[in-house]
Amino acid sequence: MSRKNVAKRPKLAREGVGGRLHYFVERAFTNIRQNLPVNLLTIGTISLAFLILSLALLIFVNLERVTETWSDRVQVTAYFEGDLSPGDLSTLKARIKAIKGTADIDYVSREEALQRFSGRLKGQEALLEGVSYEILPSSLEIHLKKDNRDSEAVSRYVAQLKKIPLITEVQYGEEWVKRFSHFMNLVRFAGILVAGFIVLAVVFIVANTIKLTIYARKDELELMGLVGATRLFIKVPFLIEGVVQGVVGASVALLVLTGVYLAFLHNADFFFSFNTIEAGLLFLPASHIVALLFGGAALGFLGSLASLKRFISL
Amino acid sequence: MIQLHNVYMSYQGDGAALSNVTLKIAKGEFVFLTGVSGAGKSTLLKLLYGALQPTRGQVVIDGVNVSKLPSSQLPFLRRKVGVVFQDFKLLSNRSVLENVALTLEVLGWGKKDINKRVYHILKQMGLEHKLNSTPLRLSGGEQQRIALARALVNEPKIILADEPTGNLDEESREKVLSILKEANIRGSTVVIATHDRRLIESSHKRLIVLDKGHIVEDSDES
Ligand SMILES: Nc1ncnc2c1ncn2[C@@H]1O[C@H](COP(=O)(O)OP(=O)(O)OP(=O)(O)O)[C@@H](O)[C@H]1O
Ligand SMILES: [Mg+2]
Repeated sequence: MSRKNVAKRPKLAREGVGGRLHYFVERAFTNIRQNLPVNLLTIGTISLAFLILSLALLIFVNLERVTETWSDRVQVTAYFEGDLSPGDLSTLKARIKAIKGTADIDYVSREEALQRFSGRLKGQEALLEGVSYEILPSSLEIHLKKDNRDSEAVSRYVAQLKKIPLITEVQYGEEWVKRFSHFMNLVRFAGILVAGFIVLAVVFIVANTIKLTIYARKDELELMGLVGATRLFIKVPFLIEGVVQGVVGASVALLVLTGVYLAFLHNADFFFSFNTIEAGLLFLPASHIVALLFGGAALGFLGSLASLKRFISL
Repeated sequence: MIQLHNVYMSYQGDGAALSNVTLKIAKGEFVFLTGVSGAGKSTLLKLLYGALQPTRGQVVIDGVNVSKLPSSQLPFLRRKVGVVFQDFKLLSNRSVLENVALTLEVLGWGKKDINKRVYHILKQMGLEHKLNSTPLRLSGGEQQRIALARALVNEPKIILADEPTGNLDEESREKVLSILKEANIRGSTVVIATHDRRLIESSHKRLIVLDKGHIVEDSDES
């Protein structure tokens, strides 16, 4: 049977992975352009969701910083009798350094202790007249690493410290540390709870928005199948579209957040009038920004994938 | 090219839309399928492009048993079959050009070749000036010809047309028929489902009549 076939395979322009990918990306962007209103709606929704998320993240990051500065007050003081020879002092410091959790150590000699003491008695220095510094002990003030400032870690640390023979007494404001670490746990728990709810809401909203936009185009999905498109061929442009929506949505959210930050928040000392903090709020660290963008991409991808599963049954 | 053996088809719960249909259509044939509304014409065509699976029986297209075809192979069957759907299924968010191009895009054609080929076929349909309109701004008859163009553009081995002349005036109907005949001459097997008596009578081609899902007449067999 003679079949003069005009359509007999002209050169396929898209051989190879590169060519196909190029086609898919082009197709995805054409789709976005052709379905602009729906896409804008989706991107808008994603932006709003991510704005709430990133705002919560911003508050959380700053709260963390505040509590961190507070926790700098967690300090362990080790007292010993008399003054130590420089040699003894350095071996002692080395032993303390070896305990896990030590950040840095300050030596406070007896003279210094007296000076500090009289400093606190401003205007009543007369009380100290004739008092020799020898009645005061010398001490080492130890700062702990950030992860070792909750009450359990501190008491573990102190137990270690007490094993060192030269040290006669250890003080660390036990009550305060306990209350502080209790408060920290509360903040963390509330933070995780709130963050969890927000993330859940964001996932739910974004996934459903994407599902609706894909549902609006189920005719297209059906027809592609009917003209002989493989599942992959139908899906890939939609997945790229989802990733683009996610990344653009997250970017818009971050831009708005930056705007809000620059306009109101960066010098909002009133926000945390807790004295310890210098001034204003920090912006999100780069790692968080990257994570948000990746989160947007992943959410767009997975949202599209899950929705497509429901509509492509061929 | 097309073979059906004792095919039964029933939609969930309903009675049989097709029952005991046995049918053979050879390569290069031109066949009309007719019958009253609800007789099962569209159902039969759907079996031929794998939109439905028969409840019982075998459907073999171009040597491939559709009822046993894994779903991953279905796209490759469909590339051999051009379908004009009764409801057109044109995408309203794409231009006429893009609608017709879809068939070729799926095959992996390059943009230049696609544009050339689509222009060519639209010219055949007398619609080359509508290249950039959207289907919603076309008349029913024009939409039908776009649907036809999309089915024919890759010169498939088999062409299935469900009421391809439903919305057309005398002149366009003749035009559509001659385009289908031309495709047939170039080697495509053509099956047309239609109510259109005049279309059938003016063509002198094989006629299969369905009634309540049974083949009640086949001009080839009598
Ligand atoms: N999706 C469906 N679900 C259930 N029943 C269906 C479905 N499609 C068709 N039917 C039934 O199957 C039978 C045959 O329908 P079909 O569409 O094949 O008829 P037809 O001959 O194409 O009619 P028409 O000339 O009106 O297009 C009818 O009784 C119809 O009600
Ligand atoms: Mg029908």
